[in-house]
Amino acid sequence: MAKPEPGGLKALSALVATEPAVRTRLRLAALLGVLAGCAAVAGFVCAAYATGSLFTDDPSFPVMQTTGALAALLISFGARWLAEHVAHEASYDLEVALRRHLADALARMPLGEVQRLSSGRIKKIVQDDVKALHAAVADALPFVGSGITQPIAALLALGVVQWRLLLAVLVVVPVAMVCLALLTRDHAAQRARYNAANERVNAAVVEFVQGMPVVRTFDDGRASVGRFTSSVREFTAAVAAWIATSRASGVVNQLFVVPLPTLLVLVAASVPMRAAGWISTTDLLLALMIGAMPVEAVSPLMHLANLLNDAKAGAVRITELLHTPPLPEPEHPREPADSSVTLTDVTFRYPGERTEPALDGIDLHIPAGAVCALVGPSGSGKSTVARLIPRFFDVTAGSVRIGGVDVRDIRGDVLLRHVALVFQEPFLVAGTVEENVRLARPDATDAEVRAAAKAAAAHDFIVDELPDGYRTEVGERGSRLSGGQRQRITIARAILSDAPVVVLDEATAFADPESEAAIQEAVAGLTRGRTVLVIAHRLGTITDADHIAVLDAGRIVEQGRHAELLAANGRYARLWARHDRAADWGLARAGTTEGRAATTETEAAR
Amino acid sequence: MKRILRLMLAAAGPYAPQFRRTLRISVAAGLAQAAAYACFVPLLAELTHDPVDTGRAWLWTGLLATLVAAEGALRVRELGFTYGYWHLVTEATRLRLGERLRAIPHQELARRAAGDLTSVVGANATAAATAVSTLSTLFVQLVTVPVVLGLVITLLDWRLGLVLAAAVGAALPLVRRVQRASNAGFHAVDEADAAAANRIVEYVQGQPVLRATGQAGADSPRLTGVLTDQQHTQSAANRSAAVPLAAAQLLVRLALVALVAVGAALVLDARLSAGLLVAVVVTAARFAEPLSMAAVMTKLFEMSEAALARVDEVLQLPALPVEPGGTDPKGFELRIEQVTFGYDGQQRPTLREFDLTVPERSLTALVGPSGSGKTTVTRLISRYADPQQGTVRLGGVDLRTMDPDDLLRHLAVVFQDVYLFDDTIRANIAMARPDATDAEIEAAARAANVHDFVERLPQRYGTRVGEIGSALSGGERQRISIARAILKDAPVVLLDEPTAALDSESEVVVQQAVERLVAGRTVVVIAHRLSTVVGADQIVVVDGGRVVQRGTHGELLADADGRYARMWAAQQAARRWQLPASDPV
Repeated sequence: MAKPEPGGLKALSALVATEPAVRTRLRLAALLGVLAGCAAVAGFVCAAYATGSLFTDDPSFPVMQTTGALAALLISFGARWLAEHVAHEASYDLEVALRRHLADALARMPLGEVQRLSSGRIKKIVQDDVKALHAAVADALPFVGSGITQPIAALLALGVVQWRLLLAVLVVVPVAMVCLALLTRDHAAQRARYNAANERVNAAVVEFVQGMPVVRTFDDGRASVGRFTSSVREFTAAVAAWIATSRASGVVNQLFVVPLPTLLVLVAASVPMRAAGWISTTDLLLALMIGAMPVEAVSPLMHLANLLNDAKAGAVRITELLHTPPLPEPEHPREPADSSVTLTDVTFRYPGERTEPALDGIDLHIPAGAVCALVGPSGSGKSTVARLIPRFFDVTAGSVRIGGVDVRDIRGDVLLRHVALVFQEPFLVAGTVEENVRLARPDATDAEVRAAAKAAAAHDFIVDELPDGYRTEVGERGSRLSGGQRQRITIARAILSDAPVVVLDEATAFADPESEAAIQEAVAGLTRGRTVLVIAHRLGTITDADHIAVLDAGRIVEQGRHAELLAANGRYARLWARHDRAADWGLARAGTTEGRAATTETEAAR
Repeated sequence: MKRILRLMLAAAGPYAPQFRRTLRISVAAGLAQAAAYACFVPLLAELTHDPVDTGRAWLWTGLLATLVAAEGALRVRELGFTYGYWHLVTEATRLRLGERLRAIPHQELARRAAGDLTSVVGANATAAATAVSTLSTLFVQLVTVPVVLGLVITLLDWRLGLVLAAAVGAALPLVRRVQRASNAGFHAVDEADAAAANRIVEYVQGQPVLRATGQAGADSPRLTGVLTDQQHTQSAANRSAAVPLAAAQLLVRLALVALVAVGAALVLDARLSAGLLVAVVVTAARFAEPLSMAAVMTKLFEMSEAALARVDEVLQLPALPVEPGGTDPKGFELRIEQVTFGYDGQQRPTLREFDLTVPERSLTALVGPSGSGKTTVTRLISRYADPQQGTVRLGGVDLRTMDPDDLLRHLAVVFQDVYLFDDTIRANIAMARPDATDAEIEAAARAANVHDFVERLPQRYGTRVGEIGSALSGGERQRISIARAILKDAPVVLLDEPTAALDSESEVVVQQAVERLVAGRTVVVIAHRLSTVVGADQIVVVDGGRVVQRGTHGELLADADGRYARMWAAQQAARRWQLPASDPV
């Protein structure tokens, strides 16, 4: 129930301003709302006069007044309906336009930035935050017309018809204003505590449900149910604290921001006024009909404030995403001469981080067609090197070149056609197997698609195991396929794209132990004849690589061929010894001490 | 009506008596309000009379004031419930849901999407509390006041009553149409939203390939269709509900004009006093707004009914039954006897006449292709669900007769997907035994190779996992989960190959941790890499829900054509695989 933050409102109106056509229609909706409010009051005035005319000495049927009431009513109604229609449609148009702008911004920002934002968060902004604007945009404007105009018009009309009764109503108006002020007063501290508690309780609920297997086996009701219980109780306490401060205004609201007290005041004022002959029956009737309008407008106005509140945080997030700086495109784009990859004195610091650079003075040359492996502990910078080649981010200093051309001088789409990536979760779209393979080259023939699938060891399972072969629907994000099957389809896609450079993360490539052999075959198909950079985890797979670079803390500490590095007896040799032991590990028979012996030995080796 | 009242009473739970009392207060407040409006009839008769009898006018004004005050007093008491119990009802509902989720069969839990349950315990629980504490009283008010006043008007003049009744009668079917249309609209919009959301996630994840092929940007073919579809659906849903809603609102307003016209005609015919007409017009004018609000409110009621129903459904789920005749297990031998088990809604059973004995303090490995039933075996041991045929025994005792808490006390499970809670490392380990001392926690952490890296963290054991979530490697997370299992010190250990998805960097230390966890216990391990279980006391090859081979590694290899020998050969070949080097130039 806080007042909307000015920053949020500004962001909201700036978003609306990006679409002039929408803004014009919204203004029209507001005007129609004003018309609706005025006409509604006029209708009541006519109705009051119609009834009042019956008290004259020689009454006749009030044809004029009833017709007037009917006309005003129809105008008011039509205007309101039109206002809502215009505002809703304009708002829907705004939403689609914003989503398309966001899609455009996403397509231009550095891929690394997209990855960092995560698909979940981006989905929330593009879908939920944009949707949340609707209530504020579509409901607010016609309402500004009717909700604010109507009570003001009512007061004006009453003043014109009978100023004495206006005074009586004005006694109540300050009460309503005070209530509105009380109700919309921001109890910032309580609100913050409530929000924090609400976030915690929601997180605890997610944890409790998702972690249920662990909850069930590892807690006897004291620890983790305790976690859940305590966050639930904390939420209760936060609500209680908030209520303690807002309860009084709630009660005041319930008691005074309703029509009856106003009507009572009006009646009480009318008794002496009527006795003194100051006011007519019509005056009284009109006052009773429209006098409570200002008070009745209070709760809808509160509601409106809440709608704006909900929208404004989203508006800020949408604006931020729209304003993410795009990755600069070259003015004079060049094409790579071949498929060699060269990193020259590359230093890289992730945007917004002030700590040690992730990469520091990396020099690496991979000749066209060569296989280069990166090894080193997690966090040493292997993945960062891999990400800089397809320009997920731009280097802080130094350069990355493909075929002798700086990646910053290659057009974004050309660069991505040159580099095939197998280092994210396998990415599939809802559609058929065929569509998924063809995604990399929409004009590929059926024969080419099948050839790529064969090379990726995917053809057999597609034909033999899937119900409709290449026409099988894979489900949302490939949910109907196993991890290994998804992986091979993405590899088939990479093969079809025929990118001369392949960047591969072994850990994600082989995440599914069940289909390891098939994926190995697929990877072999992909890397054949191409320049390959592989992030290696199992050293056994890369002993034949043309080049092995050992990374540690963002620097290359050793490089060479397997045999050379072993001979050097340095970091790589130690990693190799450790790898060997791990590969031969097996669970010892229960109760024996064989395992322990091996353990101590390893510890000594460290 | 009855259904929603029953659901509300169920949701009010321990506060049902207060809820009932509040409903009665609401009815009383509604009656007081209606009576106050009814007061306008005699009051306006006096005030429109020339000359005004001030004495009698003041008398009625006094009565009006009393009724307004009475309603106010009742509303304050009603608010006492809204303000005093909303959070308590929310708390009670959430705690009851939490208890229920722990007690129902795990299979029941797994059948529901985690997201669904999360929203039941999260948003639905608060919506149910709002329905109980706020909407119920609002509803009472919206119904009582117009009904009573309609009656009063009819009593005063049946013809005016008829005008109102005709308007309401015509508006009601429209309101019902609003309900139906907005329901249908909701579903259509939900579907369109879900489709768009999926497509947006796709668009984000697919950026590299979409950019490479010119399919990214404002006109991306992957997005355009679904976005315009979403717009059309929203717009159509909005229109389909807006038209009958507008018609209903128009009817109510037209009724007011009709009332004035008919009333005027009656007054001119001297069949109705002008004062009475004024009173009727004033009271009827008070309904135009609330009645059109009622149409809008139906949407809210609809939504709360859905929330109430979802909460109730989970609360009504039956708990895992415990059959009588349970004793304490003698020893910890695991025995699966002739078990047939199929998941709900599956035609073919996952396990068929499955037999397995795991002697106390021995290690059994389950191997076989994915989908063969390995995981199901470990699930039945932890009583994820009960088998349709056969029995699972621990120390000779049928699991169905054991209290689930007792059973789980004997088990430590290490899952392939590590789940750590957003809390300190200490709390994550200690959840297995909340009364463990710091020394015991540290000992478990040392045994699991956790201690060394924890000592390097800024706040050591007090470091929150959530804050450094991405800084913990898969191996480190796995070791924390193993420390948890070690601290639990349970006699039976179930492992779903904990080193399967790790890189060689962390493998050695995780391997050591696993060794210390299993030492001297009864162990069942699911193994993907056969090399990790060559030392097992018993290797069981599972395929198609049956045991196809069993024995030690040596015994199984002796059958060169056997399933195990073939799997072993294939895996050895895969292990020797190397990334092809560049073609020799």
